[in-house]
Amino acid sequence: MIWLIVKKELTELVRTAKVGWLLAGMAALLGLALYNGYAYATTHSQLLRESQETTYQQFISQGDKNPHLGAHFGFYAYKPTADLALVDNGLEDYTGNSFYLEPHRRGIVRFKEVSDATGLRSFGFLNVGYFAQFLLPLFIFLLTHGIFAKEWENGTIKLLLSARVRPGQLVLGKLLACGLVVLVLVGGLVLGSLGLLAPAGAGAGGWGRVLPAYGCYVAGLLLYALLLTVLGATVSLLTRSSALALVGLVGFWLLGVFLVPRLASELARRVHPAITSVAFDDQTFRDMQYGVGDEGTKDERRERLAQRTLAQYHVKRLEDLPVFFIPLTIEDAEESDGRVMDRAYRTIEANEASQSRLVLASAALSPFLAFRGFSLHLTATDLNTHNDFAQRAEDHRRRIGEVVDAFYQHHTVAGNDFWRTVPQFAYTAPGLPWRLANAAAPLAVLLGWLALSLGLLGWAARRLH
Amino acid sequence: MTFSLFRLLLNQELKLLSRNRILATLFSLILVVLLAALWVGSSQLHQQQRTIGQIGAHGRTEADSLARRIRRIEAAGMRYPGFIWDDPTYAYNTARNEGPQYAVKQPFALQALAAGQRDLQPYYYKVYITKKQMLVHEGEIDNSFLQFIGQFDVAFVVIYLLPLLIIVFTYNVLSSEKEQGTWVLLKTSNQSLAGLMLGRIGIRYALFTGFFWLVVGPGLALLVGPGFLATANWWWLVGFVSLYFAFWFALALLVNSLSLSSNLNALTLLASWLVLGLLLPNLLQIGLNQAYPIPSRISLTTAERNAVNRYFERDGQTLTKAVFSSPRALIRQASVVTPGMVYGYGVIVYKSQEIKDQAARVAEQQLVQQIERQQAALRQLQFLSPALLLQEVLSALAGTHWHQYNQFSRDVDVFRTQTQRFFYPKMASEQTFRTFTVADAAAIPRFQPRPYASYAWLPMSRLLLGYAALVAGLGLVGYRRLLSASR
Repeated sequence: MIWLIVKKELTELVRTAKVGWLLAGMAALLGLALYNGYAYATTHSQLLRESQETTYQQFISQGDKNPHLGAHFGFYAYKPTADLALVDNGLEDYTGNSFYLEPHRRGIVRFKEVSDATGLRSFGFLNVGYFAQFLLPLFIFLLTHGIFAKEWENGTIKLLLSARVRPGQLVLGKLLACGLVVLVLVGGLVLGSLGLLAPAGAGAGGWGRVLPAYGCYVAGLLLYALLLTVLGATVSLLTRSSALALVGLVGFWLLGVFLVPRLASELARRVHPAITSVAFDDQTFRDMQYGVGDEGTKDERRERLAQRTLAQYHVKRLEDLPVFFIPLTIEDAEESDGRVMDRAYRTIEANEASQSRLVLASAALSPFLAFRGFSLHLTATDLNTHNDFAQRAEDHRRRIGEVVDAFYQHHTVAGNDFWRTVPQFAYTAPGLPWRLANAAAPLAVLLGWLALSLGLLGWAARRLH
Repeated sequence: MTFSLFRLLLNQELKLLSRNRILATLFSLILVVLLAALWVGSSQLHQQQRTIGQIGAHGRTEADSLARRIRRIEAAGMRYPGFIWDDPTYAYNTARNEGPQYAVKQPFALQALAAGQRDLQPYYYKVYITKKQMLVHEGEIDNSFLQFIGQFDVAFVVIYLLPLLIIVFTYNVLSSEKEQGTWVLLKTSNQSLAGLMLGRIGIRYALFTGFFWLVVGPGLALLVGPGFLATANWWWLVGFVSLYFAFWFALALLVNSLSLSSNLNALTLLASWLVLGLLLPNLLQIGLNQAYPIPSRISLTTAERNAVNRYFERDGQTLTKAVFSSPRALIRQASVVTPGMVYGYGVIVYKSQEIKDQAARVAEQQLVQQIERQQAALRQLQFLSPALLLQEVLSALAGTHWHQYNQFSRDVDVFRTQTQRFFYPKMASEQTFRTFTVADAAAIPRFQPRPYASYAWLPMSRLLLGYAALVAGLGLVGYRRLLSASR
């Protein structure tokens, strides 16, 4: 019986011109999203790969210089484009990707592409992630808003219920029919993206590098599509008016996609206000200059270091030391300043994590936001991955400082032979277990929404009796 | 339409709307959302003003401290007890430490309505002679995830949310009459049906727009002060937003005139909203990025670094050798920092900065030109989507458009050059190495802040008239269709 209902619904849907146009429109948009995402990922990953090589080549061929002056010439650590950025580029354009590796100060990641974009950027960036988060729900709601309501509007509900079909079978049959149409679109999305991932799969690391994360993304996407289909059908069943169901569902979409996240983000800014750049600079400068706790001022620390070093080498004047003293002071300052900057950045990151948690909590009102969070974590285009990159780049910056200062203790001029001994930077985003751990909270919210929708559907179906 | 009929219609509409619970709920929701947006916008404006106040106080403290320190050194016969790199009588030290001044873009009151690029572009820079500000500064410290989600402001409520309410408000003005069977009754009256429909939609437009301005005008005046009412920006803004609402009402009239069911009317209007508000801007973005790809800022740094490397292959080597080999510099050791060393580093740094700036200028021009091409193309195409047009216009009127931030950045460039011209000769003086005086500290160039709210690049009158013509055209077509449908 269920399959009879599925067949009948599918025939009706296929014969409705509206659904045909809708599917064609969505397919065209999906094609565009795939192309746009692919173009973005290939252009960016090539630029960043080449730039990483170029900046290092510039560094190791800078010629004879004072080692510290040469270290200031430095080079950049670029965050490579995520493997799954063609699916969802997430925060990539908002975080920046360039970290300057030079002595004295912890770098910050710069060059947010979004600051050079036109106002069009605020309307979103059409790729697979955008398609799945913004357009797919709308498609599902347009498809499902009338699936039950039409039976009341056409007066066929009594006919249906007076036949041998049980309400549960009717609900399941209609749901399956809608689910199959949704699956066609989601299938196109999944296979299209997989096809575009082929070059990455054929590259270093093979499919093993991209497939597990992509597989999890697809599982989450299917869960999301199922949840939305159930939700759309439930509203249609409850309102019994397709116009009302449509307005309600689209209103929910609008609130969930735009209003709730934006309101939550403003609330997060109020509850966990960020420090201003001026205050940050002031505070870190003060801490570095005058010291934290009982560590003393910079001058006092330098004097203590001088006395320690003189005692260590049993000499009375800095000029008599067997090593140059300036690199020792640089390294000492790197350590104490590094502690100040680490503490300051940890505070910022903790504050941002609190803000993000608050926004995610609002996903209790918006399943769209929960899926967005899930997608960002799985594709490694989230804030956590960005912070991980920044920390690795900072570690590398300090390693370079150590290498250069060790050399500078004995030489006042460094040539290309030395510069070539400074290691190049390379970054790989953390693996699947880390990403899944980050994605657990949004996934739990999605599952909660699914349970709620199924519960509502069951309740509405029981009312049919 | 006679006045008495108009009054009758108005009374009827007011009764209908007040008894519609869904609409009343939606209206209340929008009222709350609008007030929240006004509060968020104004508190961000106040936050910026507070930060600018802090910057001013910081600048005064730094200036006082610098003068005090120099005076103390002069009084002690030029003896400085601290670390030589902190001695402010070396021009190079002051140029790095207390010398850099803040350049500030003052916020404009209407910024409380449209955030534009406020969260992405810096509204203040610390201007260094050795660092190009567009390469070292981002905006304020902000969570990228929150930036990615987007801002909650009145512009967002107007562009995205209110059209949906207008759709709910108007999608079944005619179809509900048909579905409830009152259409035939209306047809038998001696009034023009098209006139009645136009009147009903017109009244709803007036009520809706009036309600909006009644909330926004006094609300904003209360939160940020009434000064904005005297600016042309505000009155242009009133015109464009009112026209935007008129566009959606006119479109609803047209869709109603197609004599479809309520469901199809709602579907058509929602599809229009989706296409005009979301898809078209996205497609334009793809097209413009293809036509005018914007080079990455990475190319700027690559160009700078290549130039520095080229410089150090020849002239730079000669200069470095000359400075380092000078017996006064005593630089061929690395145990004690000598005055000559501070001077020598300063000279090398400013020479290479000149080379870097020259190289970056070319790459920067390419970047900015390409962005300007995109912006120019956008100006030509913004008419395709009323949502896009309104967003561009609102951010321009609020002083948060890319053009205004770009102008600020250019002014900062000029200011940086002034600062370099002030410090470089002092850094290059070999006489004593320590040339910076109290008089010099007082003469450090300062940036003159201003709000940047000019919108000269937008032909406002032409845009408004063109837009009004489009709305009138939509309304006219709808009206004519209704005329023929009621015959």
